Amino acid sequence: MTVLAGVGVYVPEERVPIEELAERIGLTPMQVKIFRRYHGLGEVARAPKEGLIDLLRAAVADLEDFDQVKHRIRYVLHARSFSVVVPYPENPVRELCDELGLEHASAFAVGHHACSSGLLAVEVAGRLLAADSDDDPQALALILAGEKAFTPQSQMVPDTSFFGEGAAACLVQAAGERDRLLAYAVDLRGEFDDDSPETAAEYQNIYADALADAIKAAVDRSGTPMDEIALMLPHNVNLVAWRRVCRRLGVPTAKVVLDNVPTLGHVFCADAFINYRTARQRGLLRPGERYVMAAAGAGFGAAFAALVVEH
Amino acid sequence: MADTAAPAADPLLRGRVAGGICALLPEVLGRELADVSEATTLMEALGMTSTTGLELILRLEENLELEISVEDLDREHFETVGSLADYVAANLLED
Repeated sequence: MTVLAGVGVYVPEERVPIEELAERIGLTPMQVKIFRRYHGLGEVARAPKEGLIDLLRAAVADLEDFDQVKHRIRYVLHARSFSVVVPYPENPVRELCDELGLEHASAFAVGHHACSSGLLAVEVAGRLLAADSDDDPQALALILAGEKAFTPQSQMVPDTSFFGEGAAACLVQAAGERDRLLAYAVDLRGEFDDDSPETAAEYQNIYADALADAIKAAVDRSGTPMDEIALMLPHNVNLVAWRRVCRRLGVPTAKVVLDNVPTLGHVFCADAFINYRTARQRGLLRPGERYVMAAAGAGFGAAFAALVVEH
Repeated sequence: MADTAAPAADPLLRGRVAGGICALLPEVLGRELADVSEATTLMEALGMTSTTGLELILRLEENLELEISVEDLDREHFETVGSLADYVAANLLED
């Protein structure tokens, strides 16, 4: 059974208040007030002097014993919210692989599930490693997540959130003690593949229901009663969305690790891993407890996804 | 959520809130509106979005000098002028 064998994170020190971002983007004071008051957003992490490779490198450096296990890495997956994350012809993932001595690994991007591509990457890595496990049970996959807010589209999620910069690195193995992946569910909604205001409004309308349904599907598949889920590791979009999801699931909001929403922003596909680290630091996970990682996003369609993992 | 708290709300206050919502709708939606009543559906008939809905709540706070708890605010409260007035009147942080 697929396990998350290690998680490293990097969050830059600089914070930018949402008012400053709003001015750059051209939002109205009323929009900012709504973000602060209702969505619970305050500031976002930004690293103006660092490129994508710097963010990813720092997350890998945070992995325990990376040098001892890196020869076992067979796959490197960059989970992306956006298809294009650097200007052509830069290739920071390939460059980082060369730098880290991972030339032997197959490196590729995983995307098209918007901000839930990080969860897809765990599923994909697990399947690849399972297929290889007879001849190489110790093989690892390295998932990288994190992007630069370098285009107008990657500054904010309209009416929802602001993107923050940072990164996560997650080692995945085909089997192990913890954290064991019990179930994955995703709902892909191709009907949201257009830019009309009506579609955007409809996406907002179904958002909490669809994300709650994806979580329910994963939790059911894992054979876990909902009230035995110890914790939820969310994507950091905003507080309103999670309050609504919790209401639909009958789960108290206190079970959702929302600490990083007001201080980091939505760190693309890295949120769940960053929140995993926060949960560990706060001592919120005990061995044997089950938790959910969940995320949703839109862009060329919408995706709502969840993983259930046993610590 | 509002269903459980709504009966406790002061009818005068609730009426003031409903009136305040009707008065603000043209400003928030950016167009003249005819025949708005408590039964008017905000999203279906008037095309209110989640963002314009939140803007309406913020402006209502300013106009009526009230502070509204938004913890339990959800989509269904924006169904009609009346359902929103029920929620607001039952979820004030202070009078």
